[in-house]
Amino acid sequence: MQDLSFRVQRYLPGQDKKPYIQEFTVPFRQGMTVLDSLIYIKENIDNTLSFRSSCRMGICGSCGMLINNFPMLACHTPVEELGTDRVEVRSLPNFPIIRDLVASLDPLFEKHRSIKPYVMSSDMKEAEEPIAEFLQSRDELESYVQFAYCVKCGLCMAACPTVATDALFLGPQPLGQAYRYCTDHRDTGAKERFCEADSPHGVWLCHLAGACSEACPKGVDPALAIQLLKRAMVFDSLRLRKKRTPASVAQPPAESKSKIDVPEFTVK
Amino acid sequence: MKETHLKILQYITGIGLFFFVGAHLLISHLSSGEPTTWASVSGRAASSGWLAFYIFLLIFGIYHGLQGLRTIILEFSIPNPAVKVLNWVLVALGLAVFGYAVYIPINAFII
Repeated sequence: MQDLSFRVQRYLPGQDKKPYIQEFTVPFRQGMTVLDSLIYIKENIDNTLSFRSSCRMGICGSCGMLINNFPMLACHTPVEELGTDRVEVRSLPNFPIIRDLVASLDPLFEKHRSIKPYVMSSDMKEAEEPIAEFLQSRDELESYVQFAYCVKCGLCMAACPTVATDALFLGPQPLGQAYRYCTDHRDTGAKERFCEADSPHGVWLCHLAGACSEACPKGVDPALAIQLLKRAMVFDSLRLRKKRTPASVAQPPAESKSKIDVPEFTVK
Repeated sequence: MKETHLKILQYITGIGLFFFVGAHLLISHLSSGEPTTWASVSGRAASSGWLAFYIFLLIFGIYHGLQGLRTIILEFSIPNPAVKVLNWVLVALGLAVFGYAVYIPINAFII
């Protein structure tokens, strides 16, 4: 490959009536990613091009885009892997566009917040004034750790056909995270999350298309989490869900003497 | 009623319909003899067992169909206040269809 043809979506609300495509030519470099190409365009061709990026290593989830009609992280997508020298980049579907390739992830974060994405403890004293960490076995950790890798990039929401037709549908990311916290043995807030997921636009609108799991760059498999959440909710409503004992708090470490002789602080 | 309960009922009616519709097709269309003659139909209609069978087929079919219709309509981003209206409309529709359809086997049973 010599030169790459980049077709990039441009849109400036208030000025443009609707998004349009602008074409750029980018010289190919071995190992370059789609994000590298966009940075090249911004630095050398058109500095008004807007896109969001941060870590450049698939951790922050900022650079989610629709690349050749598939939602991907631009920093995680080598141009060579696309198998073509024509690359089309658009902003994530199912989200409002702020400008060019920058999608507003507000709907995602609002829905995410609604499922209470944090460990809720019934032990209020421990929650307010924690003295030590909760104990958790390896098996207990493995029951949810896969779903804890979510970086909230929004690719699953962009890929979901149900979110595309029903903007009120909670979507794969919040529902996946609802399951993640309900499964966590330190958590006692499953009932509250079940109530949220049990809404008319909740978990039962998922058709198991599986597009979310295919799009996820971190291997989270939200479709699996949603099916497990459905099962947990059915068992809960039939009163068949196993009651589990909340995770116990670890004992504070006993006082021990340092092996090396550390001098005491002299500054009071 | 919670969505999970509605969905569990849809699963149950779905499994029930598999057997009810299967039995209905088997008796009405695939069995030997002449199951659709006046004598055969009136013979079945006079049986309380068959009356119960058709009423259950009706209930399961109406619930399963209307719950499926509701799920499709919900995907048009129906806001929650309108969902309540939708629920009542579907309940009224289901009762009307049930009232109209159940009249035939009950009437045939009485005659």
